[in-house]
Amino acid sequence: MFKLNKKLLISISAATALSLGLSACMESAAPTQSAAPVKASIDGGVSYPVVDGKTGPYYVNTQFQGVKINNGRAPTHAEYEEWNSDIMPDGTGLPEGEGSVEEGEEIYEAQCVMCHGDFGSGGGGYPALSKGNAQELHESLTYQRIKPDTDGPVRVFGTYWPQASTLWWYIKDAMPHPLTDSLTDDEVYALVAYILNVNEMEIDGQEVDDEYVLNREKFLKIKMPNVDAFEPKIDGPNGPENVRKYFANPDNFGAQKVKPSERCMTNCQEPTAKVVYIQGAGISDFHPPLSAVRDLPVEKKETNFDAKKAYADNCAMCHDTGAAPAPGDKAGWSSILARGIDTVYKNGIEGTDTGMPPMGGSSLTKEQFKTVVDYIVNQSK
Amino acid sequence: MDIKKSQQDLDSVSNDTKSNSIDRRDFFRKTAALSVGALASTAALASEEKGDPAILEPQEWGTKWGDPVTKNLYGMPSKYEHNVTRRYTKLLASGNFRASITVTPIQESSGIITPNGLFFSRSHGGVAHIDPNEHRLMITGLVEKPIVLTMKQLKRYPSVTRTHFIECPANGGQEWRGPQYNSLQFAKGFMSCAEWTGVYIKTILEDLGLKPEARWMLAEGGDSSKMGRTLPIEKVLDDAMIVWGQNGEALRPEQGYPVRLLVPGWEGNLCVKWLRRLDFASEPWYCKEETSKYTVLKPTGKAIQHFYANEVNSTVTSPSPEIDWSDLEDGDIVEIEGLAWSGMGTITGVDISFDGGKNYVEAQLKGLVLPKCWTRWSYMHTYKKGQELLLTSRAMDDAGYIQPTVDQEILKVGVEAVYHRNAVETWKVEKDGKVTHVEVRSQLDRKPNGELVIEGKA
Repeated sequence: MFKLNKKLLISISAATALSLGLSACMESAAPTQSAAPVKASIDGGVSYPVVDGKTGPYYVNTQFQGVKINNGRAPTHAEYEEWNSDIMPDGTGLPEGEGSVEEGEEIYEAQCVMCHGDFGSGGGGYPALSKGNAQELHESLTYQRIKPDTDGPVRVFGTYWPQASTLWWYIKDAMPHPLTDSLTDDEVYALVAYILNVNEMEIDGQEVDDEYVLNREKFLKIKMPNVDAFEPKIDGPNGPENVRKYFANPDNFGAQKVKPSERCMTNCQEPTAKVVYIQGAGISDFHPPLSAVRDLPVEKKETNFDAKKAYADNCAMCHDTGAAPAPGDKAGWSSILARGIDTVYKNGIEGTDTGMPPMGGSSLTKEQFKTVVDYIVNQSK
Repeated sequence: MDIKKSQQDLDSVSNDTKSNSIDRRDFFRKTAALSVGALASTAALASEEKGDPAILEPQEWGTKWGDPVTKNLYGMPSKYEHNVTRRYTKLLASGNFRASITVTPIQESSGIITPNGLFFSRSHGGVAHIDPNEHRLMITGLVEKPIVLTMKQLKRYPSVTRTHFIECPANGGQEWRGPQYNSLQFAKGFMSCAEWTGVYIKTILEDLGLKPEARWMLAEGGDSSKMGRTLPIEKVLDDAMIVWGQNGEALRPEQGYPVRLLVPGWEGNLCVKWLRRLDFASEPWYCKEETSKYTVLKPTGKAIQHFYANEVNSTVTSPSPEIDWSDLEDGDIVEIEGLAWSGMGTITGVDISFDGGKNYVEAQLKGLVLPKCWTRWSYMHTYKKGQELLLTSRAMDDAGYIQPTVDQEILKVGVEAVYHRNAVETWKVEKDGKVTHVEVRSQLDRKPNGELVIEGKA
């Protein structure tokens, strides 16, 4: 049985490299007496193995090595399953379930549209999920905005992501953003179906149309248009060595290598290179404004709290987009207000499992938050 | 925009302070000519001048009691330092500032350590506030002995302390197509450097026993975003750490309290905060932040994935657009200072150019030079009033890399890469001593086969 020991720890990657006959990283692998780096690493850089009790400039307690410190306990099966939520491209971890495009659209309109826009078109600083037909727009990935009015590449789920498993996993674990881990497996299948639909994608030759129902078996047949466009190849037994080989060539990632004595010291720019300035004001939306002055901070005056502005800053992104009732929506508010104003305050402050984040995700005080609730309610009676 | 004039500056200075500082400026102007000789001996003191009110007039803090030592049991900076803060721009924010970033004022940094309150902060689901008593770390997958640890048990492993920078690989990533920020804080402040204390993962694995078919490790956070990333085993068995200490105290919530992953030199995003789970497998995971983001799209349409290390890089930190040379006099001797760093190794040298990277001279390194760590460099310069300069720095590391010119880098990876931009950076010192951010670069063109070339180059 494999046992991890000191020697193996140090030599494991070197041994793998040797067995694959890869010589690039081994050329300088002979141990040296100094703390100087001795072998090319997987990232194209150097590492600092422990030599004479030091790694680089740091002393190490070499008593650590080979010591098995027995600590902690084995997780229970239930504990392991509770946290083991990852989904791998081969379907490992993907549960059974099903959901339709139609159901997905309903959930999307209720819980996602306020951030990701109509049909996943994006907005409000949140990523777009679709820009149209994924297969066609996939061609845009070679676009480069090298001149002012050229188009850039479209990088959304359908055009860019290599694996659909990432989408399922991410929605399940980390969406909707203000209340994650709140969707059932079937709801996730439905949302994934809807996102495939707005990206105009196919599964196994069949269009994911408005009637489509997605399940685990069909999900595993999804082929992303961009699956083959990522380098280096990381899958399979050669994955890590492919990475090492890739980063051993500076040309692959825009790097420059040079012997220090041979570096350029005169005439190091292309004759065509010119000084390029920031266009207009550039990006200058800085908070707080830049200042290097040493003075006393301005005492914050107690100004009248502006409930309307606080609503616009913190609430409108959902309440004005149809995801939740807007101020003045008497029908929408009547059933909520029927529970009594104290319940409305409480649900607002603590959040609800129907999508209201605690305090709307704002950093208002409770008193300020209640003022905003009053502002909404007063228009909605 | 005169960025030194803050609103506070205009509004808040009391009349007393204002007249004081005017007096002081007058005094300095009158006595500047005497200053060199005046220090030589007391006989040469300028007796006809009244002198600096800051010296002549007793100040309140020099005559009255200060605070009792029992005040501020956790100390805070001087109130006069209130402008030294992290900053944000709405352009890089979403989700009510929950999936967002605030960046470090490196124009104000000294040495190679970022104070914990100024360390840049990036989160994907907001800053989680975790009760350490209710937090667990679970290590599972291709290990002989899976475990779950309380924080107390985790800290029982033998610890190591290392000084490393953490850099977001999108540092400077808004400027592939030209300069955008007239600010050092925003152009290069998506990084910070600290002394970290924790345990090497390889130390824990001595006991757990890694199975030979394990090639990759998943690290996952316990915050609402469950941020996860895949690491190759080689790095896990080299210097990857689980850290709980930062600059001599516990991690701040913004840095993943109670524990985060530290992957020295590699993308900041890999240093998963609020760490709760490590899982080992033979195949990689394809997490969201290593597919949809943190991949480098090249002009070929291919994208680099698993681009781990932040490459060799440097910047001039003094002068900067924020703290410029407009107060210098002709002939003043001034230190040009900067930072250099490489996630691939140790800085071996820095060159400086006064003409935007055409010609270079060697600058000198200062202080400690550590692997995968900020390194200070410096060059003494005699300021000539009215002279325009293009200050460009260029660093090298012991892995053999040197920073590329802007042209060299964009010809290879194009202008849509977003991440891992490490071409040389240029500050223009204007005639009046103000500093603006520029780039020295050629106009690109494209061949029919898609290859990028320099326009007009024979």
